[in-house]
Amino acid sequence: MSLRYPVVRTRAVIGLAFAHLRRSPGRTVLAVLAVSLSVLAVTLLASLGAGVVEVGETGLDNANRDIWISSDPVDPSASGTENPIADSHGTAAELTARDDVSSAAPLAMHEVYIGTEPDDLERTSAVGVQETHDGFDFQSGHGFDRVEPPSDGERPTEPQTAEIVLDPQVADAVGASVGDTVYIGTSRETAPDYEFTVVGTASYYSQFLGTPAVTVPLPDLQVVAGTTGTDRATFITADAAAGSDPAAVRDDLAAEYPDYEVRTSDEQVEAMVADRPLVLASGTTLVGLAVIGGVVLTTNLFALMVTQQRRELAALRAIGLSRHVLAGMIAVQGLVIGLLGGIVGIVATPPLTHALNRLAHELVGFENLLQTPPEVYLVGFALAVGVGTVVAGITGWRVGRTLKLQHLEL
Amino acid sequence: MIHRILGTLASAASQPSDERQPTPAVRLDGVTHEYGATGGRLRAGEQRTVTALRDVSIDVQPGETIGLEGPSGSGKSTILHAVAGLLVPTSGSVELIGTDLTPLSTRKRTHVRRQHVGIVFQHFHLLPSLSARANVALPLVQTGVPKRARRKRATELLTQVGLGDRTTHLPSELSGGERQRVAIARALATDPTVVIADEPTGELDTATGNAVLDLLTDVGRERAVLLASHDESTLAVADRVITLRDGQVVADGH
Repeated sequence: MSLRYPVVRTRAVIGLAFAHLRRSPGRTVLAVLAVSLSVLAVTLLASLGAGVVEVGETGLDNANRDIWISSDPVDPSASGTENPIADSHGTAAELTARDDVSSAAPLAMHEVYIGTEPDDLERTSAVGVQETHDGFDFQSGHGFDRVEPPSDGERPTEPQTAEIVLDPQVADAVGASVGDTVYIGTSRETAPDYEFTVVGTASYYSQFLGTPAVTVPLPDLQVVAGTTGTDRATFITADAAAGSDPAAVRDDLAAEYPDYEVRTSDEQVEAMVADRPLVLASGTTLVGLAVIGGVVLTTNLFALMVTQQRRELAALRAIGLSRHVLAGMIAVQGLVIGLLGGIVGIVATPPLTHALNRLAHELVGFENLLQTPPEVYLVGFALAVGVGTVVAGITGWRVGRTLKLQHLEL
Repeated sequence: MIHRILGTLASAASQPSDERQPTPAVRLDGVTHEYGATGGRLRAGEQRTVTALRDVSIDVQPGETIGLEGPSGSGKSTILHAVAGLLVPTSGSVELIGTDLTPLSTRKRTHVRRQHVGIVFQHFHLLPSLSARANVALPLVQTGVPKRARRKRATELLTQVGLGDRTTHLPSELSGGERQRVAIARALATDPTVVIADEPTGELDTATGNAVLDLLTDVGRERAVLLASHDESTLAVADRVITLRDGQVVADGH
């Protein structure tokens, strides 16, 4: 069979489709915008989902630790109100003594009240760690040096260094800067009892928690929280020794400490996300609704477009054009609108993501909450082009069957 | 199958007329058509219908122009639709050059219509985004005629209808009479055996309408033309006028 006829017909169909699009530029532009809105709904919501996971991973990556030991549930959004690991320094010392572990350190989280005046306090999150490091990226001042864990039998009753690193937002809120003294406690009543000196400002752990957080030496936080006696922590983090496989170390530790959850860094992120069924369900629902909404919007759009053309389509059918040609003509229109809408949506995604990230940072402290991996762009573009073409083609095919003679107004 | 149908149509058209009764270009034999009624409240299982044609039989010879007259709803347009294969009557047969269209599928009827029927609409139904030449060339798209050949054929037809200098004009740049002449040129694009025209002068002033009728008269010298109209001056160009009332033929004369 000669290819000439199909080629001639295809070229003519494309020409007819473009002629239709050119006929009503306003309608075409609106259709493109509607498709791009569908794309944006999908890319932005998917970026939010990807960003939530990425922020968690980045937070853990920044900690630069191979192994995370916890006792579930761990809920950073509650900022470590539960610190289920007892004798954390003792356990960390045991881990450090192993040949396959190079170092281990506990990490605790608490809700605290803080302020420059005992009667003017702000509620925020506090993270207790052994030391700060260069990764904190201090905006001002510096961190605090390593605070040695208490030796057996010794339990401090007063903060050892009483030094604190403030998140910049917390510093602004309480009006403190490097060198100032702040009061800190786990309740408004106990806060006046503990005076700490601000040694730096950094948002390092705020990124990890997604909320403004202050950082203090762990033994000092335990004193403030009254958990010194049981030496409680939220996590014990560890590094595998050089040449040791973190996964193998994890397995060994899991066998040795069956009461705890032992995970690699990636597994810890997954566990933290999985522990939020509501967040997961909400995210999935939003993305699902965005996709369904995009499909419904696109379908309605093309159905409307075809309805507006039904007299012309009926005339074309009457003068002998086949349903294939009509469906092809509508499908090409859908393809073009989908392509343009997809491109507009994809191009608009980065600036809108940037704007939403700024808003999220202002509101909840997260930086880069929305992150758009290439796969999200692909999904958004595929939705626009694929759904646009398929829906338009099906609509065109159906209209070829349902065209009424009355549409010709003979 | 389509080739067989077209072969039958071609052989029927070429039969010598001096040896037997000439094959009519169009034959309606005992055609009755009922439309399903809409609106109103129907009981379960109840089906209300409107009878548009009642036992209509008409023969149209090649080179004959037939006028269809009658009030609105008398069945004029239904006859045109049946001849074009746009509808299949409830009963009876519709033959085009000896081939019954009624048992054919929609696809095959479309194919036959494309090859053998040209349609002129009252409202022209030109695609507003296409030039006059592109509109005329539209029926040739489906048959796979290359673009250059389509343009050549369309230009020839537009020249024949007196619009050789308007080939690149959009419909919006043409007068009503010019648009109808473009529509007539489009109807002739595939060199059809039958041309049907429903109120072809309905949207035109008298002078313009007369010019269009002259054109249709020329068209009718070589083809069978079915012309539906309320207008007596339009029907005056017909060789025969068939009068319809309530779907029935009440008069058929010269």
